[in-house]
Amino acid sequence: MSLKRTALDRLGFFFIGSEASKTSASISDSGPDGGEELEMLQVVGFGPQIVREVDMEIHGWYDTELVFKTLDKTVPPMITKEFSGLASIESNDGKWSNLEFELSQKVIDLDRLQWMANYGLPDGGGLRATTWKLLLGYLPAARDSWEADLANNRSKYFALKEEELLNPSTLTQRYETSPSNKLESVNDVIGFLRRNKISTGDHPLSLSKASVWHQFFENTEIVEQIDRDVQRTHPSMKFFSGDSSVGQKNQMAMRSILHLFAKLNPAIGYVQGMNEVLAPLFYIFSMDSDEKNALHAEADSYACFVRLLSDSVDHFCKHLDNSSVGIMATLSHFSQLIKLNDEELWRHLEIFNKVNPQFYAFRWITLLLTQEFEFHDVMRIWDSLLSNPLGIQEMLLRVCCAMVLCVKHELLSGDFAENLKLLQHYPPIDIEYILHVSEELIR
Amino acid sequence: MASGDRIDYVFKVVLIGDSAVGKSQILSRFARDEFSLDSKATIGVEFQTRTVLIEHKSVKAQIWDTAGQERYRAVTSAYYRGALGAMLVYDITKRQTFEHIPRWLEELRSHADKNLVIMMIGNKTDLEDDRAVPMEDAKEFAQKEGLFFLETSALQAVNVEMAFLTVLTEIFNIIIKKNLAADSNANNSVPSLEGKKILIPGPAQIIPAKKGMCCT
Repeated sequence: MSLKRTALDRLGFFFIGSEASKTSASISDSGPDGGEELEMLQVVGFGPQIVREVDMEIHGWYDTELVFKTLDKTVPPMITKEFSGLASIESNDGKWSNLEFELSQKVIDLDRLQWMANYGLPDGGGLRATTWKLLLGYLPAARDSWEADLANNRSKYFALKEEELLNPSTLTQRYETSPSNKLESVNDVIGFLRRNKISTGDHPLSLSKASVWHQFFENTEIVEQIDRDVQRTHPSMKFFSGDSSVGQKNQMAMRSILHLFAKLNPAIGYVQGMNEVLAPLFYIFSMDSDEKNALHAEADSYACFVRLLSDSVDHFCKHLDNSSVGIMATLSHFSQLIKLNDEELWRHLEIFNKVNPQFYAFRWITLLLTQEFEFHDVMRIWDSLLSNPLGIQEMLLRVCCAMVLCVKHELLSGDFAENLKLLQHYPPIDIEYILHVSEELIR
Repeated sequence: MASGDRIDYVFKVVLIGDSAVGKSQILSRFARDEFSLDSKATIGVEFQTRTVLIEHKSVKAQIWDTAGQERYRAVTSAYYRGALGAMLVYDITKRQTFEHIPRWLEELRSHADKNLVIMMIGNKTDLEDDRAVPMEDAKEFAQKEGLFFLETSALQAVNVEMAFLTVLTEIFNIIIKKNLAADSNANNSVPSLEGKKILIPGPAQIIPAKKGMCCT
């Protein structure tokens, strides 16, 4: 369909499609720029052993863990619940100074950044915001191109937003006016489809998918849906709550991001839950201590949201549910991971209890665990998801598997109903412990 | 209401309807007597149970609350399997959610058991001022389709209990009838539900005749 084609073409840098390639590349491979650049940098980056030498030099980054750290960073330290407690006592100052040092380098070593982020990024300031942007490939490793890149991406976003959202009759124009009329049409009265622009045979009651009217009404439905969900995104947090003017402004920004995404990715549209996935990004970017960055949180969040979803967007596509890239395939991969790591538990849950992963892990996976834990803990989990060299999705499945293993005792003594309730309302737990278990898994 | 650990019957009931009509709130009102102002969209399914007593038998209701959005429908319809009851919910302040009821009904009938007990629920009666679906329209539709019908307010805890008990009792009575029939036929192609005991159904206490069912 020509509309889809046009929209996708115009996406350029922002584009992701349901066909997005699935590689094991550690960082988003969605765009024609960032991704490639990152891969290249990884080739020239330091390997784990060099990383360690640098660690020793720049002391203070997680001293406690260096004690346990082996040369190979893929072998995690033996943290028990107690150890993780110890790790969290580890001074924030250490985290800050090392991370700040790394982020101040002319060319940032992404391997090293991944390694640092995997242990959790400091709250507050702007370090998490900058690191996430780097990990997602939104910021290039070369510091001196940040400013120009950001400015460019931000202006692209606003141009797209202006074109797609501020003028609801764009849709008609795209069909009915030639490119030369475009400038003139931008000034049209907003919200009305002008009679002379409707092609013969099209009318408000048309059921044809190609009907401009049909699409117009469908669009309204999407907007209402987004609206409802944005209003119920962490309403207990002042930042998101519509009770304050700041909250309202933030809701407005989230609405724009989701709406623009839906418009530019018509094959996916808006799927409930996307609001939850967007929320951590938008929150972290808005809380950046760098005022300019905070001011542009909306544009940055949009681009990072696209990148974040790049390797999991197929989970949101209904028509791909049963394909090899859809949610069902991922769930079956998840089930195999449990089986591989604890067959007894797997047998009990899936064979004996008949607790199908679809009943509980569907939400875990599609929403990147955003609904399972406190907001603060979600941030911590995401540090590890975004920084894992295996990729976000692979790490996600491991964390999900660890979540199941961590409540093994309860699960083995529970029946279908008890176990399903337990997994759907996951109990409060030490996040560090889950992350540790996830790194220990066999795969 | 729960009677110890002994469960005589387990009935599976699904909650379906457009998004944001209050399905999850209806469930949490029934299962935990709670109403949360900051509820999130349901992704996939949510599961709750509550055990009630019906004619001295303990009946465990397994309730599956499903996501309302179209995208999740293909996934959620898998949950209809084995359901004996369905609560089909719309929002009385949003006409469109009522207009979509036939679609939901069709989906239920194509995926679920033929003898499914269906209760149509018009939720949010606490927003009477914004009402967009007259009760008469809904009643007429329910009669035509042979559905139970009630208007509820999960917020004010109005009729939620009644709605579930009606469905559960109706299922209970159907099961008992089936068991009776099975017993007299000695032909064992009967439902696979637990409970083979025979009990003569008493007068249909809370089960109103389908046609007369409406909000009080």
